[in-house]
Amino acid sequence: MTRTNSSPLPAPDFRLDMRGEPCPYPAMATLEALPRLRPGQVLEVVSDCPQSINNIPVDARNHGYEVLEIEQDGPTIRYLIRR
Amino acid sequence: MRWDEFKQHYLIKFWPPLPAIIAAGVLSAYYFGLTGTFWAVTGEFTRWGGHILQFLGFHPETWGYFKVIHLEGTPLDRIDGVMIIGMFAGCLSAALFANNVKLRVPHHRIRIVQAVVGGMIAGFGARLAMGCNLAAFFTGIPQFSLHAWFFALATAAGSWFGARVVMLPLFRIPVALVPVSKPSALSQDPVQAARRLRLGLGLFAAFALWAGVKTMSAPTLGLAAFCGLGFGLLIERAQICFTSAFRDLWLTGRTQMAKAIIIGMAVSALGTYSYTRLGVAPKIFWAGPNAVLGGVLFGFGIVLAGGCETGWMYRAVEGQVHYWWVGLGNILGATLLAALWDDIAPVLAKPYPMVNLLTVFGPQGGLIVTYLLLALAMAAVLFWERHFFARKAQSSSLAKEQA
Repeated sequence: MTRTNSSPLPAPDFRLDMRGEPCPYPAMATLEALPRLRPGQVLEVVSDCPQSINNIPVDARNHGYEVLEIEQDGPTIRYLIRR
Repeated sequence: MRWDEFKQHYLIKFWPPLPAIIAAGVLSAYYFGLTGTFWAVTGEFTRWGGHILQFLGFHPETWGYFKVIHLEGTPLDRIDGVMIIGMFAGCLSAALFANNVKLRVPHHRIRIVQAVVGGMIAGFGARLAMGCNLAAFFTGIPQFSLHAWFFALATAAGSWFGARVVMLPLFRIPVALVPVSKPSALSQDPVQAARRLRLGLGLFAAFALWAGVKTMSAPTLGLAAFCGLGFGLLIERAQICFTSAFRDLWLTGRTQMAKAIIIGMAVSALGTYSYTRLGVAPKIFWAGPNAVLGGVLFGFGIVLAGGCETGWMYRAVEGQVHYWWVGLGNILGATLLAALWDDIAPVLAKPYPMVNLLTVFGPQGGLIVTYLLLALAMAAVLFWERHFFARKAQSSSLAKEQA
């Protein structure tokens, strides 16, 4: 498991399960879902597309969201992103 | 550094793309010096299609295209062939290190359709232009061949169309945004992870040993196999994706991969330049409509398919079934182009010159022109990034005013 920080993390409010979907769909769905959250709410994105490591966190930051955690667990990657 | 730390940092955690692409640029320059050819994959995939046709009783060796790219021997006798086997070994070891091999089956039939159709269009376009993201872009531009610049610009345009198409409702599978109160439990099996890591290390060592033995009897083939192992390791561990470099400029305004590739080519170009000064002949192809048309088709196809030739290689061994279909499509499309080449080439390729920038502008001039063009490409990417986010900020403030 790989954590980007070790401070206690807020629980997610919503989940987007993108397992089985290839690029660019996980990143696009993430960018479409985030505006539907209220400011401060947290989205959990679960993806088994390894390529998402180079797009979901970068896109989320570029589009003004805060990436709280990236957890790489074998073939599955979980992203916690705050609006 | 302790083994656990090394394992976590280098074998499990993904590598950042920029240093990995620079390393691929350096390695591809060495590869050119060691083998006299550039890092390329689609030509060899086309030969595989040729072998399949031979097996079925056809005689593709009499076709003009196979006279250009040659069809002698088996993959084990060819530089490209052993290099690609090395890439597969490198990709598979790299995926096994991180327990990242998993059968990922597409959930929807439309994904298989887009994989095969996109793969075919990309395979056809790449071979029409005499190269893919490698030979006509990442390793073609550092060969100072004008056709690679035509191809790169056309690929950017084709990928723009592709990005429009893949976002059509037809290709969008609805995903529910589910309210939750706690994180989902991730649980990889630690026993499986440890076993896969050992398997990956074993495969890596076994291939390196084979390549080492081969180097003693056939130095060029053995060293090409080593380079392939390195390329495979780099593209999987860093998830280097040429498709996303083009596509995501248009979709999300992300420029990270595009910038990294431009820097990688700038590093590579100086290396290949030095070898050409020492007398190694660069690989130059027709700078004609074939490169432009091929680039547009290729750019569209890779975005529809979700990956290019190098992209499907590592994704296929990670168990992403979608990319098995892309690979099949690529080989079909490339073989189709080979079958039609004798009708197409006299119109679209052969009447046009093979332009070597080092000849047109002189050696130093050609190098300078290449760096100026790379600087221009970087400036265009930076401009686009600013434009993309400025436009987005404008549209969101407009939406707020209306609300």
